[in-house]
Amino acid sequence: MWAKTITGNFANVIHGLNANHLTDQVIERSKRMILDTLGVGLLGTSTEVCHKVTQYSKIYSSDLSSTIWGRLDFRLPPLYAAFVNGVAVHSMDFDDTWHPATHPSGAVLPAVIALSEAFPQKKKISGLDLLLAFNVGIEVQGRLLRFSSEARNIPKRFHPPTVVGTMGSAAACAKLLALDQLGCKNTLAIAASYAGAPLANAATQTKPLHVGNAAKHGLEAACLASQGLQGNKQILDMKSGIGAFYTDYNPQTLPTLQSYPWLLDQQDVAIKRFPAHLGTHWVADAASSVRRKLVESSGNLLPLDKIEKVILKVPEVKYVNRPSPASEHEARHSFQFVACSALLDGSVSVQSFTNENIHRPALQELLHKTELEHPPDNTPSFESLYCEVSVTLRDGNMISDRCDTFYGHWRKPLKKQDLEKKFQSNALSVLPAEATEGIIETVYNLEKVEDCSVLGTFLSGQSARELSQKLRF
Amino acid sequence: MVYSTLQKSQKLLASSRHVHKTAAHVVARSAPEDTVTSSFASFIHGARPDHLSKTVRHRSKRMILDSIGVGLVGSTTHVFDIALRYCRELYSPVAVSSVYGKPGVKLSPTLAAFTNGVATHSMDFDDTWHPATHPSGAVLPALLAASQMLPPGTKPTGMDFLLAFNVGLEVQGRLMHFSTEAHDIPKRFHPPSVVGTMGSAAATAKLLSLSRAQCCHALGIAASLAGAPMANAATQAKPLHIGNATRLGFEAALLAARGMEANPFILDDIPGCSGFSAFYGVYHPKPLPAPGDHHEFLLEKQDIAFKRFPAHLGMHWVVDAALSVRNLFVHYAGSFSPALIRTIVLKIPVSKYINRPFPSSEHQARHSFQFNACAALLDGEVGLGSFTESSIHRQELRELLDKVVVEHPEDNVANFDKMYGEVALLLHSGDVLTGKCDTFYGHWRKPLSKESLLKKFRSNASHVLPDEKIEAIITTVDNLENLSDSSQLACSL
Repeated sequence: MWAKTITGNFANVIHGLNANHLTDQVIERSKRMILDTLGVGLLGTSTEVCHKVTQYSKIYSSDLSSTIWGRLDFRLPPLYAAFVNGVAVHSMDFDDTWHPATHPSGAVLPAVIALSEAFPQKKKISGLDLLLAFNVGIEVQGRLLRFSSEARNIPKRFHPPTVVGTMGSAAACAKLLALDQLGCKNTLAIAASYAGAPLANAATQTKPLHVGNAAKHGLEAACLASQGLQGNKQILDMKSGIGAFYTDYNPQTLPTLQSYPWLLDQQDVAIKRFPAHLGTHWVADAASSVRRKLVESSGNLLPLDKIEKVILKVPEVKYVNRPSPASEHEARHSFQFVACSALLDGSVSVQSFTNENIHRPALQELLHKTELEHPPDNTPSFESLYCEVSVTLRDGNMISDRCDTFYGHWRKPLKKQDLEKKFQSNALSVLPAEATEGIIETVYNLEKVEDCSVLGTFLSGQSARELSQKLRF
Repeated sequence: MVYSTLQKSQKLLASSRHVHKTAAHVVARSAPEDTVTSSFASFIHGARPDHLSKTVRHRSKRMILDSIGVGLVGSTTHVFDIALRYCRELYSPVAVSSVYGKPGVKLSPTLAAFTNGVATHSMDFDDTWHPATHPSGAVLPALLAASQMLPPGTKPTGMDFLLAFNVGLEVQGRLMHFSTEAHDIPKRFHPPSVVGTMGSAAATAKLLSLSRAQCCHALGIAASLAGAPMANAATQAKPLHIGNATRLGFEAALLAARGMEANPFILDDIPGCSGFSAFYGVYHPKPLPAPGDHHEFLLEKQDIAFKRFPAHLGMHWVVDAALSVRNLFVHYAGSFSPALIRTIVLKIPVSKYINRPFPSSEHQARHSFQFNACAALLDGEVGLGSFTESSIHRQELRELLDKVVVEHPEDNVANFDKMYGEVALLLHSGDVLTGKCDTFYGHWRKPLSKESLLKKFRSNASHVLPDEKIEAIITTVDNLENLSDSSQLACSL
């Protein structure tokens, strides 16, 4: 159905997409994203920021409730479950990243899972419903990001998950609630009034709340719309609508529903190998490679005192330029920190960001010798940036290497076993093995799952043995 | 369950004398006392009742009364129904905070704030300041809800309440002075959603007695919850802007009380990585003076405008101008005879979202120069009843609307301190009658008298409360400074 406005067009597409539109590649990629996001979220439940928001959210209780990932002992109303789980997903900056830049899954998955568990009239939601809604949420984010040329580069003003993530969560929840076109339009309109957080809270403890709030507010917008609340039906068309978050804004209508071309088909996500800003992944690969060359020539130990200078050639991204990070949040947003960790240890992992490791003298010493350079051809875009690490020794020798595409980037995606390994390593930190196996099984077979609440049950830590009857493919 | 959680937070509040490790590093690296953000935190933390001047106390109590009245009548709206249903369905049992106009209902504190905030702005009947925002609706509901949340024995006094309210206003006003864009009627972000959220965070941080560092983090967290685009103005979703401002600012303070940390430079200008500046094109933050012996609140120099009818502030100039020319016309023609009118010319400032020739909903009608002028001409007054469905779609009104043309004289700037409204009736006979209004009654240059303010309050409150309760609220607000337990105000709603 042709719509007169872009907003109406979006509503039509959200409403009109169905399971038949999902291609094999989209299904495969989105299931990888779902698995990775769950693992990252489970690991994240152990963070301090997550503890704080959980305590906060416990003020609210109700009859309707959803799972808090990794917790069997209590549940929360769907809105706060979405919030807490969203915070968990982004708590360590370990979640997926897309191009144009945003963290797409964390804003959507916690909301749809929470909603599916606390559905009005206790209706059952199938795995396919969940998968479709998830993809609608991802797609809407990707489409909105293409409305402004500013979105192609690493952000400076508003943190993208808070702008497009809120809208994506709203769209996904509207889809799951099976709202009509008008309901979808109003959902988008209401969600816009919740969107947008400034970038300055990146590299602080508040950043994870950006994703938590995106999930929560998108869900709230859909719930309010389903209660009949109305907003501006041209919210995507107007400069004073979603356009308010951009200086140049050119909205376009979506393609027709005939064989719908999903963005995820053309553009995969990057999955992180360690919990830090995506930009640091190029740095880590280049630095690890330089370290291998260095230790070859000096018997497997990094010759720290022989190092004169470390130069990192990176794009100019102010909020990831931190010569001397003092907290885990700052360390995850520091080119310098990740380079030095990789040089010292050979690789970067969850452990690299503990307090002890952040403050080790050897690392501090190396940080003092580290400088950044910003070659003009190194554009601040996840599609085109590169990193070159050069270590200059006291004897004048220089060892360097360059990384154009790190392993995990969309041009070099993680292999299935490595994706699973990351998930297991994350999930086993809070769940028993049967639950983690159950999640992997369920996600891999998501299209065939009749009642996706089984996912929530695994996420709370109940063992598979108790649930074998629920698992029906 | 709520009480035990809160008792823990009371301990947290009491014991937060030490500076968190991360904050300590910040102190070491660059003296936070120099930053704009820390000056705000110091103000919020350090402001005392004796800093409030008589004028400020008087004006803010008028604002509190008006805001409650507007919220009470607002509890009869459809948008309020939706918000309340939503909150009740998803949350509850240990609910402690009152909801305007619903004596049997209690909600959890932030949701009560949300619902009451929506009520306050539901009809666009709430106060407006200069630079432009709706200050009270963003602050009062959170404070009312918070006052009921605190355990007995630690209840804030009426003076504490009044102080916190003024801290919330002051922060909003100061933030708006950081950008010249704020002086004009907004185009991009709806100010209550930007500064209102920050004001609510500041006010609740004050009421909850957060430490200086926690006040700072409350502001930082709130910034990540601020900012809604203008496009939802003139729709049913607009009241959510105030509802969310007051609720999310409150949440920010609660999170800060639990130890959540944010960027301690959130109000400062951070090149390449926007903080609060993200909401403005031009941004020049200035530190607040440290509250020593004396602090001059902005409310002292710049009063508020109270609305006489439920519509956007800009409408008030045009209505007063229309009423004045209507008088002339009635003298001229003996009665108001629309058939004699050929054209109605409105001279108004340029502002897209309040220029609507044929509004089709109550929300649009409240944001239409044309509609308000014609309603004033037709009826001789504009009030609650002017915005009902039947009133909006009246044949006679549509006929008048057909005759309207708008002009935007260059000297009529889109700024609540400088704009004017002019209505000219061009008659078929060739005669021209004009009415002009520079300052409408209720504007800060011509404030509502005490009688008028009380009349508005009684009229609003009578929609949902009996007379004794109405008078009790008036008395309580009038004597706010002397109240020993400010939660009485919330309980009396």
